[in-house]
Amino acid sequence: MSLTTTTEQVAGRVPFTVLALEGELDASNFERLVGDARDLYTRGTRAMLIDLTGLTFLASSGLVALHSIVRIMHGEQADDLEAGWDVLHHLGHDTATGDSQRDVQLAGPQPAVERVLQRTGLDRLFVIHPDRTTGIADF
Amino acid sequence: MVAGAALTPERLGPILAPFEDPDGGFAIAVEDPDGVVLASAGQAPPDAPVDAVEEIRCGPGKAMVGRVVGRGSGPLVGPIVASLAASLAELAGSAHEHHPGGTAAHRLEAELALSRRIQRSLIPLTPPDLRGFEVATHYEAAREVGGDFFDVFPLRDRAGRAGIVIADVTGKGIAAALLMAFARPLVRSALDQARDPVVAIERTNKILVEERRSALFITALAGILDLRTRVLRLANAGHEPPLVVPGDPARPVRWLTGSGPLLGAFPTLGLGPCEVQLAPGDLVLLYTDGVTDTRAASGERFGDDRLLAVVEAARAGSARDMLDAVVAATHAFQGDEPSADDVTIVAVKREAHTRRDLARPKG
Repeated sequence: MSLTTTTEQVAGRVPFTVLALEGELDASNFERLVGDARDLYTRGTRAMLIDLTGLTFLASSGLVALHSIVRIMHGEQADDLEAGWDVLHHLGHDTATGDSQRDVQLAGPQPAVERVLQRTGLDRLFVIHPDRTTGIADF
Repeated sequence: MVAGAALTPERLGPILAPFEDPDGGFAIAVEDPDGVVLASAGQAPPDAPVDAVEEIRCGPGKAMVGRVVGRGSGPLVGPIVASLAASLAELAGSAHEHHPGGTAAHRLEAELALSRRIQRSLIPLTPPDLRGFEVATHYEAAREVGGDFFDVFPLRDRAGRAGIVIADVTGKGIAAALLMAFARPLVRSALDQARDPVVAIERTNKILVEERRSALFITALAGILDLRTRVLRLANAGHEPPLVVPGDPARPVRWLTGSGPLLGAFPTLGLGPCEVQLAPGDLVLLYTDGVTDTRAASGERFGDDRLLAVVEAARAGSARDMLDAVVAATHAFQGDEPSADDVTIVAVKREAHTRRDLARPKG
């Protein structure tokens, strides 16, 4: 199982990073993706379009990564996923309120990936563009 | 002082066995007046709500056995969960302490062992006997435990209803196992108190969102089966929909759709119930995504279509037959590939003909 990520900086109305995922996002690599997002935040990224065109599989663990990326882009200290019980006692800011945020948006989910987003209700957390080009233009 | 007759060492042996710890340590089992046993590991907090404590040997460690008193309509659930939490947190901490200068590999192994232990301790040993129904369950942990859990239990109203729960904590390892340990008694007590799965799941979500900050989520399917009306009422929070397999071969197998978002991400879920009336021979199959996400060496996933085909082929058999067929098919598909996720399946089948049906046919 592998996941490849590539990034592109876009100087739009607001500068944002396009993070393209290729392969499968699951329990074996979701923490690495969160780490990548944290690195991008450190280097200045504050808004992100996640291009899902090349993502063939999204496991439920992958949802944790997508949600954590939203929190990272909001400047919250995303929980250390390995922190065990500390995670449950961590007094951070409130998690997603259910309002649609715009700092992290998605583009081009394949039907299988879109089904997982819909089933779990996480689709309501994101603006989802049909493809990368539209996403970049409308961000 | 209550004699604690219900909690005998004989009965506790199998419950506490998973806690046997070569490094020493304690296990605690707490039983409330309705006979619900919650088991956990670590040390009993000094103010644990027990009125009779005895110690029994459990491997190299000790097991503390207590019987809870003074439980009213529910406030004791808080202390029980809190004590479970404290105990589990302590155990989690000790896993790190055992390997202070250990390598990352050592730590990983310790964490894997710990999360598996937590997981095993919370998986019910044998499903209860539900009059007129056959219940079969299967749980298989991935190497890095995924945090699946299930629960089948009679509700405390003793009105002939049973709670049925299957859930999947997103993520893996200790964080997932601990959240599972936290959530399972929450869902159970919410079902007991609310008597309605939609209310119970909403309540559980509220607690998860307000009381803890975790990066992880839970997909959950919770139901109440009325053993007299044979109606199964379910609430689905982002979980794989269950399959309904009619006993009548002329009726098609179908997914029972209707769901809302998963637990822990949104303040409210806005769930609607889904219901199914179970006729003689009808079966409901609840499962986690570990089943359909099973991966072959080619990279292909087991998927919905293969699951449906297996279920169709096995629909004439018992709940256990159905379970065995699904497990065998996923294993064959998987070959030597390692499991990336836990696999959990619960099958509930209404007996084709109960004695009562024969004696008093409806009509």
